[in-house]
Parts: sequence; C-alpha cells; structure tokens
Amino acid sequence: MSELRLSSIETRGVPGKKRYAMVIDLRRCIGCDACMVACKAEFDVPLGVFRTWVPYRVVGTYPNVRKQFLPRLCNHCDDPPCVRSCPVGATYKVEDGGFVLQHYERCIGCKACMASCPYNARFLLPKHRTYTDITGVVDKCTFCHHRVTQGLVPACVQTCIGRARIFGDLNDPASEVSRLVATLPTQVLRPEEGTKPHVFYIGADRSLTEHGRAVYSAPEVLDADRAAFNRNHKG
Amino acid sequence: MGDYNVFHHMPWSGAYAIYFFVIGISAALFFFSALSWYRDDFKSLRTSAFYVSFGLMAAGGLLLIGDLAKPMRFLNILNPFYLNFTSPLAWGGLNLMSFGAVSVAYFYMMRKKDDTNSRRLAVIGSLLALGLPIYTGFDLTVHQNRPVWNSPLMPVLFVAMSLVSGAAVASFLAGRNEKLLATLRQFMLWSAGAVGAMLVSLLGTTAYGGAGQELTFMFMTSGALGAVFVGLGILLGTAAPIALLLAPYGRQQNGVLLAAGLILVGGMALRYSILVGGQIVQTYF
Ligand code: SF4
Ligand code: SF4
Repeated sequence: MSELRLSSIETRGVPGKKRYAMVIDLRRCIGCDACMVACKAEFDVPLGVFRTWVPYRVVGTYPNVRKQFLPRLCNHCDDPPCVRSCPVGATYKVEDGGFVLQHYERCIGCKACMASCPYNARFLLPKHRTYTDITGVVDKCTFCHHRVTQGLVPACVQTCIGRARIFGDLNDPASEVSRLVATLPTQVLRPEEGTKPHVFYIGADRSLTEHGRAVYSAPEVLDADRAAFNRNHKG
Repeated sequence: MGDYNVFHHMPWSGAYAIYFFVIGISAALFFFSALSWYRDDFKSLRTSAFYVSFGLMAAGGLLLIGDLAKPMRFLNILNPFYLNFTSPLAWGGLNLMSFGAVSVAYFYMMRKKDDTNSRRLAVIGSLLALGLPIYTGFDLTVHQNRPVWNSPLMPVLFVAMSLVSGAAVASFLAGRNEKLLATLRQFMLWSAGAVGAMLVSLLGTTAYGGAGQELTFMFMTSGALGAVFVGLGILLGTAAPIALLLAPYGRQQNGVLLAAGLILVGGMALRYSILVGGQIVQTYF
C-alpha cells in the first residue's frame, strides 16, 4: 500500500520520478564502522562530525546481552522540515531522486535547518579545513548524489562488509529496496514527526530508536568526552 | 556503560536568548513611545523609550548577524531569488529590517517636529514591533520535533514576555512620574500574569507529553535547567514581582522598580531556558 502523500514536495510513488531510499538490515550489521570510514574518506568529513555514524548500545543483563547497532545518516525525508525552515533556500530537495542537498555558497549558517531536523543529521563545518574550501556552512549526507547520478551506489553501501546497507529506487517496484520494504517489516526513525524518512531499518531496537530514561542520567563515562566535544564544536 | 554515541550540540546557543530578550524589549519600548501620541501619561517616554528601543534593536540585529556562521551572507536574506517564505526566519529578517527603516524615519520625523507623519509612523512601527516577538515565537513553534517550542502558545507567550520586560525597562525611564508608573505597574501585572498562566499550561502539556517532552520537563524542572527556569524564571522573575506589585509596597516607586528588576532577571531566564530546554533531549538522540 502506498503512503498517503500530503505535501507537494513528496515524490514517493510519483510516476516517472525516482525516489531513492536506503534499507539497513540490522541483522547483518556487525558494527565494523567501515561505512563511517568510507564516508569520511569520500567527503573529507572533519574530525568530530559525521555524515553517517554507527552508535551502539549494550542491551540486556548478563548473560543475556547484545550489542545493538543503528547506523545513522540523513533520512532524505520525503517531506523534509529542514528544507521548509531554511530562510534562503540553501537546503533543497532534488525532485527526481529525492536527495536533500545543500547550496553551500548560499548558506548563511543560521542553523535553522539543524534545529528542525529531528535526527541530528546536520552539522556545522569548521571555519578552517586543510583540503577542502567549503567551510563554516551546514553540511550533511548527500546520499552520495555525485556517485548515484553516475550509476554507482553510495560509498557506505559500496563498502558495507555485511551487505547490511542496500540502496535503490523505491519508485521502481523491481528494485531490491522495493522488494525488501514490501516483503519485510521495516521501521523508520521518529515516524510521528511526519518527515517520511527514506532510510528504512530491518530489526531496529527500541533502545536506540526511542528517547530512553537513561538520557536524564546519562552514563558518567561519557561526560569527559562530551565536555571535550562541546569545547571544540561550538554551535 | 558500554554505550557509544556521537555527540551533537544544540544548534541555537544562548546568544539567541539574549537576542530574544533585547528585541522583545525594543519592540515594547517602541510601542510605548508610539502610545505617547495617543495617551498623555506616556508623553514623557516618547523620546527616551524610542532611543533605548533603537539602541537595543541595533544591538539585537548585530547579535543576530554575529551569530551566523557566515555573518556577511546575511545579505542573502534580502535576495528575492533566495527568500524562502516557508521559513519564519525569512519573514523575521524582513520584519526586523522594515522595523529598523521605520524607526529611522520615525526619528527623522520627530526631529523635524512633523507630528502628523510621526503619528503615522508610530502606528506602522508599532505593528512591525508586534511582529518581532510573534516571529521569534514562530521561529521556535515551527520545529515540530522540539518539545516546549512546538506549541501554539509560543508567539503569544513571546508577545506577553516582550510587554512585561518592556514595561519593566520603561519604569526605569519613567522617573518620578507617578501616573505613568501606575500605568506601567498595570502593564507589568497583567502581562506577567499572562506569562504565568501560559507557563502553567506549557508545563502541563510538556509533563504529560511523549517521551521526549516528559524528559524535557524533567530537565527543566528537576534537572540541569531547574534553577534557571523554575528558580529565576518562574519564582523570582514572575511570581515574586506579581506578589510584590500587589502588595502596598508595590504601589510605591521603589516597589515598582524592584519588581521591574526582578522581571528583567526572569525575562532573560525564561527565554534562555525555553530556548535551551527545547534542545537538550535531542542532543542525546
Ligand atoms: S534527516 Fe534531517 S537533514 Fe535529512 S532530510 Fe530529514 S530533516 Fe532534512
Ligand atoms: S544554516 Fe544554511 S542551510 Fe541551514 S537553514 Fe540556515 S541558511 Fe539554510
């Protein structure tokens, strides 16, 4: 069954248009972080910020414990709040394909898009970078637009050793992502926000997809790291 | 133990709270200056309130621009080919700039002693001034994923906070003018009362909301923000001045000024904790 389309920006199920999506099969993710490394290499992503990241949480009580991974990235939402909230149109959606991208030369760095993204998918680039001259503006995952338009898959998908990340056109009923989404139970993150995310998870664990009570008393082991992060990455 | 997460920071830092504070006061003071054309008791505020309003508007504008990661690109907001009207920031930028332009024209007309045009500009400027707290409220409201912010109360709450903080500053400008002080006291009482009532319903919906809202409520009351939000914002900055203004001492000049001081502390604390409160929980997601 196709989803209800509410806003004219949505392209899921629109004939003649591509709507790329990623399926992440968590049963196959071994938490090797190769995708994070591939992404860092592809885009020269600065230290401390990530276009894709793989948080994990150890759930359960010994001896029944399990390390639960949840690779994260921009969901290339079909109805993206970040695009709505950018005052200068620096964040935009590519109609054919559904990529949510940045006009770097337009971005004024007001961070409205960061405030509106429910997934923390966006970050501010530092003022100085060694190899890349895009600085001081907001950046995020591009679904490897430059690779996909050349017929390649995104760098993280290409490198995934467990083949946990699968990429393709959801508007093409014969694609692998369409088949997976149609035949397996999938989850998206924070569906209640109405963003229509296009990263689908198979087997996502609640301990990573929901706000847990642990947030209120976060593990102290992370305090020093968090303080260092805050020192070096001022909003 | 055993968690690995990537850290995220709050997109909007405390500088925005200072901006909300000064721009709210600036808007209300302009309104009081405009009111002087229609009510005699406000006459003594006409120029003083306007000058302070103008100074705060300029400071607020610079603060806002300075907080952009690319300050010089603020001009992009003026580019009609770029402007995206689904963003309240775009409306806000235009509102702020037209308010600035009308303020300059108002100043000029007052200097020329052109009363007819001054009056006209006072009305136009007041409407634009009203837009400032409204748009700052909408700036927060539209983010559907943010607890506290995503409430239709925000624009109204910001208007009430603007009035109460503005009246507080105006009472320092009023000097020994007892009639004016009495009117400002009324302004403070009613708008602080409105702020209090809205905070109660905001806290209620936040406490009984979803997981993110519930956690936000905990952070804002018993957690890291509790002292600022409840202690400074609600108790010291809203409840205490209301009680003081209602007491016999609150009808004297010193009482009004003491209440005004507390209101200003509370106004800053409330804006800060609302801004930060809406962002804490998500930094852990
Ligand atoms: S995940 Fe965030 S940044 Fe990506 S499209 Fe959705 S709202 Fe925008
Ligand atoms: S930070 Fe840049 S991309 Fe984000 S809303 Fe502001 S101008 Fe748009």
